[in-house]
Amino acid sequence: MSYEIPMGPYHPGLEEPYKLDMICEGETVMDAKLHIGFNFRGIEHLAETRNYIQVIALMERVCGICSFIHTLTLCQAMEKLTGLTPPPRALYIRVVVAELERLHSHVLWAGIAAKLMGFKTMFMTCFEIREKVMDVLQAISGNRVNYAMNRIGGVNRDIEDPASILSMVDALEKEMVKTIIPIFTTSKTATSRCAGIGVLTTEKARSLGVVGPVARASGVGQDLRKEAPYAAYSEMNFDIPVVPDGDVRARLLVRALEIMESCKILRQALTKLPPGEIAPPGDSSKFSFITGTATARVEAPRGEVMYSVSWKEGARMPSRVHVRTPTYVNMPAVRFMVQGARLADTPLIQAAVDPCYSCTDR
Amino acid sequence: MSAIETIPAPPTELTSDAYVEKGGVYWYTPTGLDVRDVAKSMNAVGARFITITTYELPANRGFRLEYHWDLCGRLLGFNFPLSGNTIESIYDLCEAVDWIEREVHEEYRIDFIGREYQPLLLREGNVCGVNLQKEVLQ
Repeated sequence: MSYEIPMGPYHPGLEEPYKLDMICEGETVMDAKLHIGFNFRGIEHLAETRNYIQVIALMERVCGICSFIHTLTLCQAMEKLTGLTPPPRALYIRVVVAELERLHSHVLWAGIAAKLMGFKTMFMTCFEIREKVMDVLQAISGNRVNYAMNRIGGVNRDIEDPASILSMVDALEKEMVKTIIPIFTTSKTATSRCAGIGVLTTEKARSLGVVGPVARASGVGQDLRKEAPYAAYSEMNFDIPVVPDGDVRARLLVRALEIMESCKILRQALTKLPPGEIAPPGDSSKFSFITGTATARVEAPRGEVMYSVSWKEGARMPSRVHVRTPTYVNMPAVRFMVQGARLADTPLIQAAVDPCYSCTDR
Repeated sequence: MSAIETIPAPPTELTSDAYVEKGGVYWYTPTGLDVRDVAKSMNAVGARFITITTYELPANRGFRLEYHWDLCGRLLGFNFPLSGNTIESIYDLCEAVDWIEREVHEEYRIDFIGREYQPLLLREGNVCGVNLQKEVLQ
């Protein structure tokens, strides 16, 4: 006999406000339905009522964890409509903050995953390291969450002492290599809870169009930093970790390896930081837009973010801002990941997607 | 020659006559393009569906839907102007389109013909279009 178990929108097993209606037979999940929109904010509509300065602050609040990525993508689209090109130093600073944000996101996710595995000590360790990443972000931007770093044509704040940031990155990497990565990749607790569960095959990942670490953990090696480089990524030497297994352990491995690659990118960007300005000269409050639509894409910690921005010449406000977030693409895959899984594994399976409902309910 | 074969292969090199780069997108915009033919063409070359961006045209002139696909890191765009509020669904050809078709349906009251909807719950009550459409008939 099958029965339905509702999980969410507010449930101790979910970190985000959405609902998973699971159809079970015994302890096995046969199918699931997902419901979203519990905190829908209508930000795309709000964006049409904000001018070109205000809209950056608004879109920074689409997501609390990848706030920099949202303004970066928006500014890249607006730069296409204003004809402004950021100076090289600004492009490097964008890479530095984007990679710090990736570290922050991945370590935060590792902590939550550890908690769901019942590995509370690891949860505390991850959050201690996350604090240190946030300290670095605060040292650069003055802020710990919404950094207000991006502006049209560049960045708002310079990195005045790259050497001190570099030493913080070294210390972070050391701790990650010493604690997080070995425990997650070799401990029996992590392996027994993650291996072989929540499998998304390569074929299904391609069919659903999933992005980011979820795609790369299913053997789909796509990453916009390599395929369509933006900012200064074309000048960085790094690898894209791809694991074909498609289970929760593969998602964990991909993120662990991405932490190492982010440290590699950070070291290069901070060492090679070119001299010069961080924004174009002139009045930073006046921009002239051409009529048209511009689109930009960026590889956020959870996957590809896309902004389409439409403007009319002479207008101060956009006529349309459309945001495509990675969780919006990845979450439909949860239905297929939980099919055949044990009910007790479903919190960890959905968490392995690293869902962000701040982004989804934009 | 079938309709799908008239859609040229997307650009794999930096230059292409059929696709014109503008605002970060390689556009293919002949009139009378069929959304299902485009989906079949994109599936045939292994492109990845990205999203649909909806624009409500002023003075109740309908909508414009932009379908975006990715091929090897290159963003491809196809324009579909709608005088009414219906367009054929491509859900049976591309399951990645599911949530965005449902979202556009709820936000703009656009019907994707040939599919059923489960509510995404973005809407308030039972009225579609309240979130983003400028004028909603209650």
